[in-house]
Amino acid sequence: MHIPDGYLSPQTYVPLYLVSFVFWSTALKKMKKNLSIKHIPYLAMASAFSFLIMMFNIPIPGGTTGHAVGSGIIAILLGPWTAVIAVSVSLIIQAIVFGDGGITAIGANCFNMAVVMPFISYWVFNIVRGRSLDAKRLSISAFLSGYIGLTLAALITGVEFGIQPLIATGVDGRALYSPYPMSVALPAMVFEHMLFFGVIEGIVTFLLFKYFAKHEYDMIYALSKREANK
Amino acid sequence: MKNNVPAFLLSRPSYEPRNFDKGRLKTSFIEKGIHHAAQIIQTGYVNWETASKDDFFQGIDARVKVIFLLFYIIIVSLKNDLISEVLIGVFVFILSIVASLNIFSFYKRVIFFSFIFGFLAAAPSALNIITKGHIILPLFHLSSAHHLWIYQIPQEIGLTKEGIYGVSMLTLRCMNSLSISLFVLNTTTFPDIIKALKAMLVTDAFLMVITLSYKYIFIFAKIVEDMHLAKKSRLVGQMSAVDGRRWAAGRIAFMFKKTTLRCEEIMKAMLSRGFSDNIKIYGARKLCLKDWTSGAILLLIGMIFLYI
Repeated sequence: MHIPDGYLSPQTYVPLYLVSFVFWSTALKKMKKNLSIKHIPYLAMASAFSFLIMMFNIPIPGGTTGHAVGSGIIAILLGPWTAVIAVSVSLIIQAIVFGDGGITAIGANCFNMAVVMPFISYWVFNIVRGRSLDAKRLSISAFLSGYIGLTLAALITGVEFGIQPLIATGVDGRALYSPYPMSVALPAMVFEHMLFFGVIEGIVTFLLFKYFAKHEYDMIYALSKREANK
Repeated sequence: MKNNVPAFLLSRPSYEPRNFDKGRLKTSFIEKGIHHAAQIIQTGYVNWETASKDDFFQGIDARVKVIFLLFYIIIVSLKNDLISEVLIGVFVFILSIVASLNIFSFYKRVIFFSFIFGFLAAAPSALNIITKGHIILPLFHLSSAHHLWIYQIPQEIGLTKEGIYGVSMLTLRCMNSLSISLFVLNTTTFPDIIKALKAMLVTDAFLMVITLSYKYIFIFAKIVEDMHLAKKSRLVGQMSAVDGRRWAAGRIAFMFKKTTLRCEEIMKAMLSRGFSDNIKIYGARKLCLKDWTSGAILLLIGMIFLYI
């Protein structure tokens, strides 16, 4: 999911930087309003946690192991706006310090994994869950939130790759950046995430949610927020 | 280059192969966790060590290097010919020699990432199925061409000249971007990068979140490594996949609890030291002649790359 440098044209990465910037500013404003000065260490800890989730390899059915992006579970635990900042900071550190994801692609990566994914996951969780507190329905909601969140983020990434041969070509018609047309980039990104990575994300989101629902129910933002609104 | 990093941080943990025998698995996921955590700690130490050396590039102000990073990465993304990319690659190679970096370990990391994200991901596009053009290396010959929905499979499948050019471009672009960013990271400490970003008008609140998060990633990475090692030392033989999942979920939840508790402790510590809503990160020193000269040279060379 981490887009490296060189795959996106300036026509794509510049607008995505701007879109991400709008979300960062809005998220910081919202945080400041709700959490006062406590938001600084809180966001830093949330970012560190977002980074740490990726360090846990989890055995999944079928005998293999995988790790999650974690944006879905962070949105459920801390709220989507906190997830925007937490996952973005984690992605920025990954790109600058560990070379994971490109520097020109920071805006695109943040938009895909720190904006699209947390919001979709959070909405899916709330829509599937409804007002129910039934353990089975909550577990299904958690799985689907991770699964659908990641798959849709992959779809957006596929579109970003797929438009490159249309918007950035040389005089001879040759693609200057990502060479894969939409007909290849979109199915490749969507199917691999639908069949494999999305399932891992769903399982990790479900496992973590199940653990928190059992032991730390009050810490789940998506549940406490809805309860407070009732 | 003399390495002061303790040997235990540089040695990799033993890797145990997976075994899918009747729903039980060996503890390879624990080994992977240890490896991942150790790698993060090691990367942090190695970067810090090389960036703190008393060499020419390490002595240049971080603002000059951060501007160099952004300027050159934009140049790399704008250039669309192989010669320019090769020249930029050679230039960064010369810079890393001048900066006394450990060339072998530096390029090992650059080549590894470029191979995966640049070459492997782009390699299929060299085929004439994706990139049309003159086939220079035929691979398969089908009885006839096929049309599957919107996809066309030609009778002869092979690598095209245009496709190979495209793959080379992507690989080189990826390699250059990585080498430039790793070069800056290996010659600049993280606090200096933050100060440079402040000078570029990035908000203090955002920088403070990044700084705190960066520090705590290393602290928690050590805790994660210890948790995996503790689990490994208590295991004899295999564990079930269900137990493995439960353990990992429990540990992640434990980390979440620990991070929220630490957050409150940090808040109290910050308040006791006089922290208020007014966040201030102190700026960098005044630029000296060395900074201006090296900045001007890097800018000039960048402009040459831009216009060749």
